[in-house]
Amino acid sequence: MLYASAVIDFDHNATTPLDPRVRGAMIELLGDPALDGNPSSVHGRGRAARAVVEQARRELAGAVGAEPLQVTFTSGGTEADALALLGTCRALRRAGRAHGLLSTVIEHPAVLGAGERLESEGTSRVFVAVDRCGRVDPARVVEALVAAPELGVVSIAAANHELGNRCDIAGLVAAIRAGVDRPIVIHSDAVQAFGKIAVDFSAWDLDLMSVSSHKIHGPKGVGALIHRQHHELDSLWIGGSQERGRRVGTEAVPAIHGFGVAAGLVARELDQRRASFVPLREQLLIGLRERVPDVVIHGDPEHTLGNTVLASIPGCSGELLLINFDLEGIAVSTGSACNSGKLAGSKVLLALGADPALAASALRLSLGKDSSAAQVTALLDCLPSIVERVRAHAPKRGGAN
Amino acid sequence: MRVVVAMSGGVDSSIAAALMVEAGHEVVGLTMALYDAGTQERRGRGGTCCSPAEIDLARRACDQLGIPHYTVDERARFSAAVIDDFAREYAAGRTPNPCARCNEQVKFGPLLARARALGAERLVTGHYARIESGALLRAADPSKDQSYFLFAMDRALLDVVEFPLGTWTKQLVRAKARALGMPNADAADSQELCFVPGGDHGEVVESRARELGLDLAALEPGEVRDSAGNLLGEHRGIHRVTIGQRRGLGISADRPRYVLRVLPESRTVIVGDADELDVQTVIVNDFRRLADIDESEGLVAHVQVRHRGAPHPAIVEFEANQARVRFDTPVRAVAPGQAAVVYVGDQVLGGGWIGKV
Repeated sequence: MLYASAVIDFDHNATTPLDPRVRGAMIELLGDPALDGNPSSVHGRGRAARAVVEQARRELAGAVGAEPLQVTFTSGGTEADALALLGTCRALRRAGRAHGLLSTVIEHPAVLGAGERLESEGTSRVFVAVDRCGRVDPARVVEALVAAPELGVVSIAAANHELGNRCDIAGLVAAIRAGVDRPIVIHSDAVQAFGKIAVDFSAWDLDLMSVSSHKIHGPKGVGALIHRQHHELDSLWIGGSQERGRRVGTEAVPAIHGFGVAAGLVARELDQRRASFVPLREQLLIGLRERVPDVVIHGDPEHTLGNTVLASIPGCSGELLLINFDLEGIAVSTGSACNSGKLAGSKVLLALGADPALAASALRLSLGKDSSAAQVTALLDCLPSIVERVRAHAPKRGGAN
Repeated sequence: MRVVVAMSGGVDSSIAAALMVEAGHEVVGLTMALYDAGTQERRGRGGTCCSPAEIDLARRACDQLGIPHYTVDERARFSAAVIDDFAREYAAGRTPNPCARCNEQVKFGPLLARARALGAERLVTGHYARIESGALLRAADPSKDQSYFLFAMDRALLDVVEFPLGTWTKQLVRAKARALGMPNADAADSQELCFVPGGDHGEVVESRARELGLDLAALEPGEVRDSAGNLLGEHRGIHRVTIGQRRGLGISADRPRYVLRVLPESRTVIVGDADELDVQTVIVNDFRRLADIDESEGLVAHVQVRHRGAPHPAIVEFEANQARVRFDTPVRAVAPGQAAVVYVGDQVLGGGWIGKV
């Protein structure tokens, strides 16, 4: 038996539960032998599987303001980021064009990791400063690009995974296009934005954008890179021609199907979902400040996703708060989930130069479409006793003595 | 009652957790990550306490028991309190006891604070020792007794810590683990130090001493002499030498020679015959009491100076936090830096670190 106590979910930025309608559609597909073909096969079963993939491509394209030919399915957001950045910078480098990468220090580890890899391959990397709320100033991005002609690619997230900040991508792209007199490839990781705010690849005038299925109540193991139709990039893998050679390997048809269905639901229900979780976030903020008067709320107070609160509770270790909440059946996070399963402080806050003690006392609460006022009340009701207990007994951090 | 069980990934702590579940408690498993996982994995290690493979075993054991499991990062504390100390002690010519040090500095204090912060009333470990009416006693199974390593526990902890395996034998523990289908039922007991892969502690001391900026000259090879001052050879560094050691000294002699003393200032190692190792009196520093002791006159007790060593009859006299141990009959090879633990019968009255011998 596996222990699964968490029934109240305040960790939607880590993942979202599979929508029953998506699950139903996937089970139907998995139960139909006629749809079990290889989309690359010429025969009927292959064509039927191909139709499933292309239907999903249309659904997703429609949900993110793109054309179907601008969608390349990947294994998820991390691979989409890697394909966007490694693929583009390597292609630019081969073509002898400017291939340096500009980003911020608070990007998702998928973007930071790809940048690190590129740097080891000889691509130059520049970080543009963000303010202490994590906001990006488009004028500074333009300045940095003008000052460094070796830069050819920009990657800035549409929404930050820990802070819940929303970045005005349209404004940023317009500023770059107007202020820099050479072509700049602009990528945005929209993994956290998609499903929570309106995401529009064409209107934002982006070159590349990453999205993921399991953040929008779709299945895990599938995501997509949205790109201009003829965008040049090197495939990460070799040996096939699927996805027009950008992402080779037989398509994960059932997952792609689920992703398409989930994306269609986002397109139809986004306003309704926001109308549900945005007021809950306000309730949560008010309640946090009431119950814990010295709570520190991080991030941009104005431009938010509307579902995320990153809060530090001074004198409390975030990990002990998390465990206490888990034992009460409430799932929260201390920041981005760490793949080792170990518990540590907020990486984004550390990157912003926050006091390490404050970063270690951070708690990320992220709401979803099925969150309720009763759940917010339940979390707030057990908060004071947990905080009191953790403050009374928190071990000293770090070294001995 | 909510209880926290410290889970190492081994069979003992897994069964300790199982016993608490069976007793009807709300059990939470905690594993401390103690040292850098990556390095250990690259070196292909495993089978020691708290390695990544062991953390995985602890998680699986908790899954099996249907209890939650968490891994907490104590690498910084362990590094500073245990590994730094390990390097400093060896560099100063002493023989450290990292397990007792870990129990003292890492395992109980910080873990109890965490348990309290999680609303737990008891902290449970898989140690083989007993606590009865606030007294720390040897385990019922003498071959597994770990009370020697526990002397440095804070006395107040005896009221909140539980050792459910204190009355169990290892054989019974394994049988129960098999019956429960525990993934670690037949895992080998960890013998070597968890942070010393492959057992080459010299290398660990050297690299840590370098990181700490210690005087590396102290770890250079030095002379091996006998008590009369005759030069017999060269050793590979005082950190690779322990009192009573016979092999690996780099000398050839007509009869067995044992390390009698280490002189850190000159890096000289003095060797001699077995009977020269005999010690009548030792001074024990930083002595902690785990029971009320009548200190008005010499205490008639048994004193143990190494894990699995025999308890030696002795008279112990106390002065502030120092104890003077006079053995009834001479004891062989007592190493400064090791723990000396005072027993009356099965009860641990206290202990400290061996200073001058």
